[in-house]
Amino acid sequence: MRTLEEKATSEWIRFQEEIGIDILVDGEQYRGDMATYFAENIDGTEISGLVRSYGNRYYKKPIIVDELRRRGPISVDWFTFAQAQTKRPVKGMITGPYTMMDWSFDEYYGSRADACLAFAKLLHDEAVALEAAGAKVVQVDEPALSTRFDELPLLVKAVGIVTKGLKAKTVLHTCYGNYNEIFDYFNKLPVDQLDLEMSNSGLDLLDRFKREPLKKEIAFGVVDVHSHVIEPESLIRERIEKALTIFSPSKLVIDPDCGLKTRSVDEARIKLRNMVAAAHAVRTAHGLI
Amino acid sequence: MVHTTVVGTYPRIGETPEEQALRRGIGRLDRGEIVEADLQAIERDTVREVLREQNEIGIDLVTDGQISWYDSQSHFAGKLTSVETNGLVRYFDTNTYYRQPVVHGAVAWKTPVLADDWKFAQANSKVPVKAVLTGPVTLASLALDKHYRSKKALALDLATAVGEEVGSLVQAGASHVQIDEPILTRHPDDLTLVSEALERIRSHKGRSTLTLFTFFGDVAPIYKDLGDAPADILGLDLVQGSATWPVLAKHGSTKPLVLGLIDARNTKEEDPAAIAKKALELKGAVDLKASYVSPSNGLEFLPRDRARRKLHILRAAAQKVGVGA
Repeated sequence: MRTLEEKATSEWIRFQEEIGIDILVDGEQYRGDMATYFAENIDGTEISGLVRSYGNRYYKKPIIVDELRRRGPISVDWFTFAQAQTKRPVKGMITGPYTMMDWSFDEYYGSRADACLAFAKLLHDEAVALEAAGAKVVQVDEPALSTRFDELPLLVKAVGIVTKGLKAKTVLHTCYGNYNEIFDYFNKLPVDQLDLEMSNSGLDLLDRFKREPLKKEIAFGVVDVHSHVIEPESLIRERIEKALTIFSPSKLVIDPDCGLKTRSVDEARIKLRNMVAAAHAVRTAHGLI
Repeated sequence: MVHTTVVGTYPRIGETPEEQALRRGIGRLDRGEIVEADLQAIERDTVREVLREQNEIGIDLVTDGQISWYDSQSHFAGKLTSVETNGLVRYFDTNTYYRQPVVHGAVAWKTPVLADDWKFAQANSKVPVKAVLTGPVTLASLALDKHYRSKKALALDLATAVGEEVGSLVQAGASHVQIDEPILTRHPDDLTLVSEALERIRSHKGRSTLTLFTFFGDVAPIYKDLGDAPADILGLDLVQGSATWPVLAKHGSTKPLVLGLIDARNTKEEDPAAIAKKALELKGAVDLKASYVSPSNGLEFLPRDRARRKLHILRAAAQKVGVGA
């Protein structure tokens, strides 16, 4: 299995290089699920049976059964493998402490805050290890960010523990939430860059960003990852041009809304090709190359 | 002795190949290998299994597990006049998603949605099967309204539609009907609207027992007024909504209750004796003999094996209440 996972990782690294992506990911070919992968490599957890997400989609959840401890590097060897395939930077990818807590059953801590902060402490060690292994960018994925608005201070605290002292550029990715409710927290998030799904929600946050500027970089999702529809390059160019009316080019990174694992290989490839072509066209038009 | 019931959903699949028939069936339908009628047969096998599990454990008032529902919102609302279903939206604070109903015009009930499923379930259960519907105010709050521009106006038309549906269920023989209004745990100020909507539904209930259930949080700020809502029984989430407990313990209830004391969102197993002790704290303040203990909400947020364990705990706790009563 490891051989196949390495082969798939190498193929996706080569593909990203070939089409001209600047900051790469390893494609997470070895992760069944973003939360259970981390839980399987953390002491104090078990994995549950299947629970439903929606429709006919099911996933397994971590169960916290004892004190959470990092038994060793979780994703570092995969980062090292992927980074060795390319001279371009590969992002270190961490499932965030709030999402790990929110997507786990808890039979040990009995407190969402305690479980979240326990994840945060061990994920900080993982972030430090990724940085030591050469990661220039560390991304913390928090899709559960907007689950409970009253817990946003907890999320800020927990992510702050993870990113504390890192010299690598830090990114927080979130998606499919009620952004208007959490908007006030965007500038409080202790990361250098905020990565948002924008195209699925019709770029409807742009007006708010105009009124209330973001004080950090933005990674701006321009491709809907939950649709079979292939966005033409012209549409993606329009989205990037709209983003440039609000954000300066030096603070703007273009990416898909979210991970592409729910798309077919062909769909993922063409969406990424169109995205890169659109970004290149906009750069050329604005004299940014 | 206090009775036992469930709140609505039950896990559709489990870990064994036999317990995954529904997942395979939906996949085969998507690939065009079977037709809708084949899938309905698989759904009904699953409903039989879900009822058998509840019957064997000894739950007094069961549900069909809402096995055929895509989700709590679109299954009913999506079959009304002027309603289409759209993209996925997160369902409260869960990691589950519903297809959002989009209201384009005046909503109206067309035809029974749940009655056939209820009749099938009742024919396969040794005990009464409770019919469960999402309440009109929750439906209105979670829908995308492009017509009424007023939650109240939409909710009241939805209440008329839910009322028609309740009428068809009662005509089919349902003796217990439950209306879920989890929105009250987020917007307690909606209670007046919930009560107005329930009045429309109550006129269709005939001799059936009407339960109003709230879950995913507490109703402490409105607990005293909730007792005046036009329902026969009140269902309370006392786990995620544990803040309701002190108010409940202080004021009691003139209506029978469904006490959602078993955590349906976490796998940690409760001690039946502790649950029974908690229920018995209400002795004298609540008519326990007319009341139920239950999970805190639907069981679909748990893996199937853990849901079964929770029902065993529920049954054991109820038996201990009987001993202590």
